[in-house]
Amino acid sequence: MTAHFAWTRRHILKTSVAGAAAALTAGRATSSLAAPALVKGSKLTYWGGLIFSDKANKLLVDTINKWGADNGIQTEVVMINQNETVQKVSAAVASNTLPDALDLSLDLLMLLSRQGVFHTVDEIFDSLGKAQGGWFPAIASASDTSKVAGGRTGIPYGVSGNLLLRRNDLLSKAGFKNPPTTWEELSQQAAAINKPPLYGLGLALSNVGDGNVQVGVLQSYGGRIADDTGTKAAIKSEATREYLKWVKAAWDKKLFPPGNTTWDGAGDNNAYLAGQAAFIANTGSVGIAAKSQDPELYQATLYSSLPGGPKGVVSATNTNLRAIPKSSKNPDAARALLEFLGSPEFMNAYYEQAIYGPVLQGQSKLKAFTSGDPILSGLLDLVVKGTAPAYPDVYNTAFADAYNNFVVPKMVQRVVIDNWDFDRAMDEAQTVTQSIYDKYK
Amino acid sequence: MAGSPSISRRLLFARIGTYVALACAVLLVLFPIYWMVITSLKLPREIYRVPSLWPQTITWNNYRILLEDKGFLVALRNSLLVAGSVTFISVVISSLAAYSLARFRYRFRGFVGRLILFAYLTPTTLLFIPLSILMARLGLGNSLHGLILVYLTFSLPLSTWLLQGYFRGVPKELEEQGMIDGLTRFGALFRIVIPLSAPGIAAVAIFTFTGAWNELLLALVLITSESQRTTPLALNYLITSDVLPWGPLMAGAVISSLPLMILYFVAQRFMVQGMTAGSVKG
Amino acid sequence: MTQPRTASPKPRFSAATQDQLFAYGLVLPVVLLLLGLVAYPFFYAIWVSFTNRVVGNDGVFIGLGNFRYLAGSPAFFSAIRNTIVLVVVSDILKLAIGLGLALLVTQKIAGRGLFRSMLMLPWAMPAFVAYLTWRVLYQPIGGGINLVLTQTGIYPEIVDWLGQRQTAMPSVIVAAVWRGFPFWFVSILAALQTIPGELYEAARIDGANAWQRFRAVTWPGIRQVVIITTLLSSIWTANSFEHVWLLTQGGPSDATMVFPVLAYFGMQTQRLGEAAAVSVAMLPVLAILVIFATAMMTSREEQD
Repeated sequence: MTAHFAWTRRHILKTSVAGAAAALTAGRATSSLAAPALVKGSKLTYWGGLIFSDKANKLLVDTINKWGADNGIQTEVVMINQNETVQKVSAAVASNTLPDALDLSLDLLMLLSRQGVFHTVDEIFDSLGKAQGGWFPAIASASDTSKVAGGRTGIPYGVSGNLLLRRNDLLSKAGFKNPPTTWEELSQQAAAINKPPLYGLGLALSNVGDGNVQVGVLQSYGGRIADDTGTKAAIKSEATREYLKWVKAAWDKKLFPPGNTTWDGAGDNNAYLAGQAAFIANTGSVGIAAKSQDPELYQATLYSSLPGGPKGVVSATNTNLRAIPKSSKNPDAARALLEFLGSPEFMNAYYEQAIYGPVLQGQSKLKAFTSGDPILSGLLDLVVKGTAPAYPDVYNTAFADAYNNFVVPKMVQRVVIDNWDFDRAMDEAQTVTQSIYDKYK
Repeated sequence: MAGSPSISRRLLFARIGTYVALACAVLLVLFPIYWMVITSLKLPREIYRVPSLWPQTITWNNYRILLEDKGFLVALRNSLLVAGSVTFISVVISSLAAYSLARFRYRFRGFVGRLILFAYLTPTTLLFIPLSILMARLGLGNSLHGLILVYLTFSLPLSTWLLQGYFRGVPKELEEQGMIDGLTRFGALFRIVIPLSAPGIAAVAIFTFTGAWNELLLALVLITSESQRTTPLALNYLITSDVLPWGPLMAGAVISSLPLMILYFVAQRFMVQGMTAGSVKG
Repeated sequence: MTQPRTASPKPRFSAATQDQLFAYGLVLPVVLLLLGLVAYPFFYAIWVSFTNRVVGNDGVFIGLGNFRYLAGSPAFFSAIRNTIVLVVVSDILKLAIGLGLALLVTQKIAGRGLFRSMLMLPWAMPAFVAYLTWRVLYQPIGGGINLVLTQTGIYPEIVDWLGQRQTAMPSVIVAAVWRGFPFWFVSILAALQTIPGELYEAARIDGANAWQRFRAVTWPGIRQVVIITTLLSSIWTANSFEHVWLLTQGGPSDATMVFPVLAYFGMQTQRLGEAAAVSVAMLPVLAILVIFATAMMTSREEQD
């Protein structure tokens, strides 16, 4: 019932996206905080993050261009493929060709803020917070750059993270009405319906972002990347051993689809869309893809939060933010734009098309999150219950380096691919991690 | 056709063997291309859920999606512009350099030769950040002009190297005769050497065009605006976040490979001739 | 085709000086462009490899710090081993396939031009498209290769080509060979055209069999080309990263980790110094190949 309702609502919205963009700008034109400082005829370049939803991308571009037209500012919006943001931004920082404002992930914002690349935007952060019921505390604290940049440099606009997608058609037939709440339970449910070419556990164990879901699993078993000081590697532990036992057992039962140790970012999606995986951990893009390509599969899919381990649920959220580089030639207009893009009208329309969870408490009452869309409800849930990046580890550059070097998926691959014993695999991971942490002493 | 029957039978077997071997090779070579083409003609659901060796229903939808939006036509035009310009510039100035290297003996000739080779062998992964800084300083970031300039880094060395081999194959006496008849050095180059080297130049032009048409990594870093994207970049932009739209992607692959494949079919003979000169007499 | 002999230089000094200036003038545009676009970035990158530069911060000179860190990481040694395996094995295969096919299509057979054209096609595909297609082909379930094997009954089991240590590197090599062999094929084909037919006739009259003719006539005629092609191809293979990146990202475990992919990981953590150091660490090997190649070519010029 719910899904059907969402389906029709989406349908109607499809046609009204363009209209919404126009209506939005018209309604907000007068109430902008920084409006007086805008120079007519000045230029503004914006790099938006290109995401899976074409409609969300188009809405962002249209809205910014409409805002520019209303304020007499020449806007150029370029959508940057998120897969290439790191190279693009790296090259742009080095060659001093950053735009006037851009979308980026918390990782990159933190790193660049440390180098003083961005203006502080505390006043926008405060005014948006005041107007919309305050920021979610976890997001406010995770995105706080005051210590490294003398103020906040990013305005959060969306939270992404992983939901557990499951094939309800198969699972309910096998008697599993409720989503698994622990990783052990997940394995049990997966094993019960595992029947190649359908595999139970569509989790990536490869050297890509999806493989790092395993960091959260490790941490939910009580394992850690480093100690509380954030300087000493602490991978080798009894908790890690317990975690490895879980992976190894699932591997030996052949619950993972073949190829999952070399999947690229699309591996789990492809497996799920191909009907080869009963469970996957995904940001929700698969749901959207299934909705248009395979409605039957979409109907059979249910969403829940990631399971937990003996130490509870660790489900890291990643915050996406907007920032203004110091090299901007039009910082006032950029500030006005950021303020404008934080408006509930735009954000509601955007959230309905994109796959982000809310950042402001007031946003949870937006129609996007209250109308029962299973993916968006799941994302709201994630924002409320999810954990800060790296938690319970200390989030610092050394952690980010270890994370981006895939130390945990690589350790798992040593066990399942190379048949190393747990001690040897943990020893190697421990040494590698320590040498990464040593670089940041 | 004279000879004992056993010899002619052996010849026949050899001939059949040749055809069988070639047919196998062609089959192996074409299979991935075949897969690319049929994937581009399948419905998404068929690609994922019911994999098969041939499409059950043929759809042109993927091509429609690609050509209707995504600015793919603009990208094709840009690629044509970039690859065409790079080819032209590269052939002209590398002809001059190649002629110099092939005909004259001078002090820094060895150095120039070595520079060319080193340039050819430097990994792109090492170059792209410094190149992007350089392009930004020259005010050529995010522009097709910048891309053309950068692509010369890989096209010039190969062109020069291949062409000098070819020019060496043109008898010097012909030029000398031409100069006695009143041609200048330049005249001799353009009226005698270049026309005689036509197949070599054609081959070099095709190599250069291929390289520039297919390049992705540098374009990724240097080009930002949608209006300046080249074809490989536009294809790469079809992959957003973690979903691979196989249908449109393979449709784009077919469209972008087609011009080159046709070119290779038509110009196959020149390429072999061009390489003959370049690699053998280099 | 016969080799032209260079005429002996004429003793006209002023004209000779003029020629010299002319020669320098002609080569100048290429030299300037290469110095600006390659030499400068090249030395710049070497400098960066000795700093702890990250994105947004120029960093300071840290001597061999990056190299020391690399030498301590297990991935570095896998990269050395795998890069060598990838280069050597794919070169041998490309040589064998390129040579074999070139010999077949130099014969006077019907459809020769068509075969030649079709065998060059992989080269016409953009690398990233070619390897994405191979990725689909290798998919364990629904991938073209497994479909062919299971449906024809050649091999009934589904093989996880890229996901197992034993098959991952061979699979990468096959894809790399598929895309790379046409260059060898064309080069060798071209070299074969230059061998005068009379040499074969003479050998035949002397009663040489096919293998003896190959040893005595064909091989000497193409040896130089094979050596140069090997060097160029080795360097390209060692430098390119699309094949491994698009197929396996260096996995599973470290089974296919190669230098350029390692450098790319350095880029992803925004540690430019470290990424540059990976590329620079590969340079000595490349330099040896380059010096060898230039020596090879100069010696040929002298024979000229």
